[in-house]
Amino acid sequence: MPLKKEPTEIRYLYKFKFDDGTEKNFDVVLNSTTLELIRDDPNPKPGWTRLKYSQCENCPLPGTVEYCPVAVSLAKLVESFHDAASYESAAVTVETAQRTYFKKTTLQKGLSAIIGIYMSTSDCPVMDRLRPMTRFHLPFANSIETFFRSVSSYLTAQFLLMRQGHQPDWEMKHLQGIYKAVNLVNKGMTTRLLKATEKDANVNAVVILHSFGDGINYFIESGLSELEPMFDVFLKEAAALENSADVNGPAKTHLSQ
Amino acid sequence: MNERILVVDDEESLRLSLKFKLKSAGFDVDVAADGEEALEKLKAKPADAVLLDINMPRMSGIEALTIIRQKYPQTETIMLTGFADFSTAIECLKIGAKDYLVKPVDTTELVTRLRSLVRSRSSERALQEVHQEYTGLISEDLIEPLKKIQTMLDQASKLAVDADKDRKKLISNARELTDKMEAKLKLLVEFSKRAATIGTPGGAELSPTQLAEQLKGIRKGTTK
Repeated sequence: MPLKKEPTEIRYLYKFKFDDGTEKNFDVVLNSTTLELIRDDPNPKPGWTRLKYSQCENCPLPGTVEYCPVAVSLAKLVESFHDAASYESAAVTVETAQRTYFKKTTLQKGLSAIIGIYMSTSDCPVMDRLRPMTRFHLPFANSIETFFRSVSSYLTAQFLLMRQGHQPDWEMKHLQGIYKAVNLVNKGMTTRLLKATEKDANVNAVVILHSFGDGINYFIESGLSELEPMFDVFLKEAAALENSADVNGPAKTHLSQ
Repeated sequence: MNERILVVDDEESLRLSLKFKLKSAGFDVDVAADGEEALEKLKAKPADAVLLDINMPRMSGIEALTIIRQKYPQTETIMLTGFADFSTAIECLKIGAKDYLVKPVDTTELVTRLRSLVRSRSSERALQEVHQEYTGLISEDLIEPLKKIQTMLDQASKLAVDADKDRKKLISNARELTDKMEAKLKLLVEFSKRAATIGTPGGAELSPTQLAEQLKGIRKGTTK
């Protein structure tokens, strides 16, 4: 029997339902191979989406680019929530081909999840580094889950680099640099959004994303150690192999056997 | 002991990232998800400073600020907001917040502001302690024994001519007290001379905390 053909698109359908009964839906569609956002740009594009409007200080795009790709991708969502407060409660459902997620949460948290996808898939050269994470998007993830996905994604990239003969960064020394650059974009975007909105839901949603970038360094230095007990089986096995190597000479790991 | 900071924000990732950053800057950090939880935490253990989000469910940051200022006037507050609103900022400062920062907060700037805030607060506290010890030394260690001596002398003068034994005892007690007072006064003179040189070229380098410790030593008799 032939293998079932993978769909060419990945969809995340975000449904926001509010206490007053109103509902707003946003369908985020990505190319399943490149993870690039299949854009549905507003027409006309709002003024605050122009690249020069409040360009991020580290923006590498040339002056010939008229609109900021991130801002344009976010425009419909942002304008839809321009007068919403961050802590407004919302029942958010996220439908994907594989499963449905549901959470009663604050609007800022729901918006943060969807804004995160838009930002990393909209063809911004800085945000591109986070694009692989969108394949394993986890709506309403808490900090530790996001840090873990981030580190996992980065280490996978290093493994692929090593397999192709490049120098991997196992110590994740450059991950902090990536998030530093990403946070300059997050900061630039909050400046745009402050001008485009009347209340704080959109801005705070980006602030949440910014906070992940801010915490990544500490997570690598200290937070990962807190996860050590979960990896006890690996650590104990390695220690046992090293001990037996001390007694019997060089040990063979199960990978080298 | 590290200065204690309480971070209050309804968003978990913000609480966590601020906690990470402030801990690595050397602060002792606790977190609360809203104003009510913040007040519970402050009741259990006071903080030197509170970072307080303005827009939160259950109890707004401004409500929480008002209560914190009333119940914990020693605790300084910095307000955090996602939306720069000048009138809210003014309102917060009027209620007693020390600062008002717009998110995303530049954590380096936040650490600098917190350090200066809690440092000036701890200097203030140490100076209050110096004042307290100094006043205590004068009133409890000098004026009170002096009053006792006066009473003893009065009693001695009223004793019968043949009550020599009692008179001698009173005079001996009075003498003992004057010796103690003299010793403390000599140390206080030395202390004042040292304190007067603070801030002068080649003068003593003593922090308010050290000054308070020296005064305590004089009072307890551990400083010679």
